[in-house]
Amino acid sequence: MTDYEAIIGLETHIQLNTTTKVFCSCKADSWFAPPNTNICPVCCGLPGVLPVLNKAVVEKAVLLAHAMNAEIRPLSYFDRKNYFYPDLPKGYQISQFDQSLAKGGYLDLPVPASASPDKKAYTRRVSIWKLHIEEDAGKTKTAGNRRFIDFNRCGVPLVEMVTGPDLRTADEAAQYLIRLRQLLRWLGISEADMEKAHLRCDANVSIRVRGETKFNPKTEIKNVNSIDAVRDAIAKEIDRQIREVEAGNRIQAWTLEWDEDSGTLKKMRSKETEADYRYFREPDLLPIRMSEDWKNQILSDFPELPLARRARFIEQYNLPEYDADILTSERKLSDYFENTVRAYGGDPKKVSNWLMNDVLRMINDQGLNPEEMKLTSAALAEILKLVDKGTININTGKSLLQKVQDSGKSPDQIVADEGLGLVSDDGAIRAVCEEVLAESPNEVASYKAGKVTLIGWFVGSVMKKMRGKADASLARQILEELLK
Amino acid sequence: MELCDLTALELTKMLRKKEVSAVEILQSSLDRIAKVDGRPGSLDHTTELTEEDKQKVHAFITRTDEIALIQAQEVDRKISAGEDPGLLAGVPFSVKDIFCVKDTCSTAASKILANFKAPYTATPVERMLQAGAVMVGKVNLDEFTYGSSNESSAFQPSPRNPWKTDRVPGGSSGGSAASVGAGEVPLSLGTDTAGSIRQPAAFCGVVGVKPTYGRVSRYGLIAFASSLDCPGPVARTVSDAAAMLQVIGGADPHDATASPLDMPDYLSTIEDGVKGMRIGLSPDYFRITYPDPKTGDLLSQPLPAEIENAVRSAAEKLAAMGAEIIEDVPMPNTRFGIPAYFVISRVEAASNLHRYDGVKYGLRTQQSFNDLNKMYRFTRNEGFGLQPKLRILMGMYVSAAQYSEQYYRRALRVRTLIRRDFEAVYDPRGKYRLDALLTPTTPTTAFEMAAVYGNSVLMQYADQLTVPANHAGIPGISLPAGFDASGLPIGIQLLGADFTESTLFRIGRAFEKATETESWRQVKPQVLQDF
Repeated sequence: MTDYEAIIGLETHIQLNTTTKVFCSCKADSWFAPPNTNICPVCCGLPGVLPVLNKAVVEKAVLLAHAMNAEIRPLSYFDRKNYFYPDLPKGYQISQFDQSLAKGGYLDLPVPASASPDKKAYTRRVSIWKLHIEEDAGKTKTAGNRRFIDFNRCGVPLVEMVTGPDLRTADEAAQYLIRLRQLLRWLGISEADMEKAHLRCDANVSIRVRGETKFNPKTEIKNVNSIDAVRDAIAKEIDRQIREVEAGNRIQAWTLEWDEDSGTLKKMRSKETEADYRYFREPDLLPIRMSEDWKNQILSDFPELPLARRARFIEQYNLPEYDADILTSERKLSDYFENTVRAYGGDPKKVSNWLMNDVLRMINDQGLNPEEMKLTSAALAEILKLVDKGTININTGKSLLQKVQDSGKSPDQIVADEGLGLVSDDGAIRAVCEEVLAESPNEVASYKAGKVTLIGWFVGSVMKKMRGKADASLARQILEELLK
Repeated sequence: MELCDLTALELTKMLRKKEVSAVEILQSSLDRIAKVDGRPGSLDHTTELTEEDKQKVHAFITRTDEIALIQAQEVDRKISAGEDPGLLAGVPFSVKDIFCVKDTCSTAASKILANFKAPYTATPVERMLQAGAVMVGKVNLDEFTYGSSNESSAFQPSPRNPWKTDRVPGGSSGGSAASVGAGEVPLSLGTDTAGSIRQPAAFCGVVGVKPTYGRVSRYGLIAFASSLDCPGPVARTVSDAAAMLQVIGGADPHDATASPLDMPDYLSTIEDGVKGMRIGLSPDYFRITYPDPKTGDLLSQPLPAEIENAVRSAAEKLAAMGAEIIEDVPMPNTRFGIPAYFVISRVEAASNLHRYDGVKYGLRTQQSFNDLNKMYRFTRNEGFGLQPKLRILMGMYVSAAQYSEQYYRRALRVRTLIRRDFEAVYDPRGKYRLDALLTPTTPTTAFEMAAVYGNSVLMQYADQLTVPANHAGIPGISLPAGFDASGLPIGIQLLGADFTESTLFRIGRAFEKATETESWRQVKPQVLQDF
């Protein structure tokens, strides 16, 4: 059978999380607003209105462009993209065309073994072909032969970012979106929630015989609103195209719609000719003049990016890739980790274990923000130190996590108040050990008959009676002595 | 002479001295309208024009008498309470119906917006109201400002020239110029995209100012060609125009293209005279150039002698007052102004008209439709008159991907060349170092109704001498400078460098003073001759 490879390019629309819309002072986010309540004459395109650019949109777009290694143009322009649609109130979309904010760029995408066809991790360089600012249109809902239009979304700031045809598998496409979503949240420029359409993705897919360099006709998949769905849809489309070609058919440039419920692709329309949007410079807006000063100001506290930080964690803290991945999944979490490591001074892997096993569960279960937790990185470091010193045992340490989070008291304080420190008084432990042995004649007999593994059970019983506060190794020592 | 025949500045002076009340001034204005205006424009085109109709001005589409009365009463209250009533307190004004004014019909003289009530007020109108001026109504214009005669309005009868009612008032701010010329109001707010303030001002014997692009906010102006549109004053004197620009100009947070530059105090320098100023005359403004309809070759023709003489005579008067007249200033790209305008304005207009689709506001077809595209087509076909349709067709054509380079992009390059003509002559280190160019405003005086209407190309050439200022973004002012043999006003135009309105006002005011005793200044328009 012929060996095919897929050629995939992704077109993403990223909703920036500014306070207001791109050209007016309506709130940018209308997620909870009833239809047509977050609108004004400007975003509804009433006669006579004019757009006024929200600077925060430019600043956030510059952060993204810089993160994608794109060149930021000192002078860029807005253009009108003209087309008729009921949810496009002006009959044109204000966008950027030939001289957009950013030029070029790429993302070095790590593809983990689990997403690799031969189960070996590799890196794919994905080029960026387009990165520009534009306004969103409204939403149309069709019910029978009636259409309902919600203009709330009109004028919501978007960055449209289009990759080159550089992705080769459905998994790579999914990885790209995972990394993009992580980056957007990391930079604090978008909520990047696909379900809420903060991050939207259309995929262009074609196939060719491996080794060929030409591009065959592609199809465009629209309306996919989760990363899993993007992966599924692309995989299904690659399979379909291979089947078609194998059957001797030609691939036609269709636009396909993903039906989430049935998990199938449906043909929306044929795309014989490119639409002519008659782009021309938007005369109502001045060009964006990105001075060096402004750019430097925007980039002055540009953060270390997640992939760089992930590599550094592996290198500097000797963390396994898995840990580094999870700990850099989110910027606040990775800051929290690193602050804890610094405050603790001990083995970073130990911090990682506590974070990934226990703290992360608390964060997820309780919807906490690592930056604002009462269990601060300093408090976590203190708990680790208490365990290391033998002041408390691991279980007590773990139970402290929630107590600190609930009360906001320091771990020291709680240990003192609740008497959680380990009992290492030989007499007290010896009394409980004797009690346990007296209550368990059968087990004592078995032990003496040679079943020495029962020692663990005896220690456990002592710990239980002492509500975990006993120094376990001391208890073991005493028990072994008494059982001789 | 009635109150409404006085200038805005005379009226505010009398008002502040409590010699007259704002309500009295308003009443005088309303009385004049009642006498000379006739029936307002309406969508009903079936009623034949009566002989009486043909004698009237028909400047208005919508009257706002009741709102005006409340505004005038408020001015009177402020004056009696000793509060500052504003620079233009109590001065009646009309507004070209291309500006949105909250809760009034804002029609753009088009059927498609006939029922549109704006939920907000345009910045220049808002500023007039803040300054205490009293809005008496919205005046007629060419549909969406697309014309130079005012005949293309969907609201008929269209305005007539107060000097001779069988003549057009010019356009597209025809209602503005006619209402000021007929003494209905001392001030009107117009717009100028290729000459739409200056040309009707010239035709109606009044002063019209196209400010520097960006001097006056466009917020609330229903757009024609956004990169060319300029709101500006129509007045009977230069000082009134300056006072009005003072009020409406300046930065606006709602318009990114409004200039943040400080507004000069125009009235403080307006009497400073022209001594030492360098004023240029260009042969390229004493002829019109137009394409031969058969061959496309550019043909050239001198202007009527009366018009050239009016300009030369004005130059002599300015020279006598100490200005230096520089002859033979080359403005070689003037002749390409109209073709470039034809392309650029249509591209922007077609795009600006997209929003009138029957979905949100304005007209929606009453015909039944079974798909969206039919709804669009029916609505736009019924709602737009001939001019918007022609401009959409042309605009779509010249901006199409395969023609854009050949037409639109080329026109933009021509626009740059026109701008350079001006930069060269105003350059303070250049050969000419001009303070202003003095030119005719129009190639002809007001033409007869229906004489040119229907010939879009010929109509457009009425703007040949005004459109270069719009391409370049520079300010221009048209001043009345006498009459031709048939008693129609002749306008002369001053063009300056960016943001030199104060210079143009000074020259204009000097010319006014030099001619104030001349007999033509005493002639009254035809519509006022009976009383």
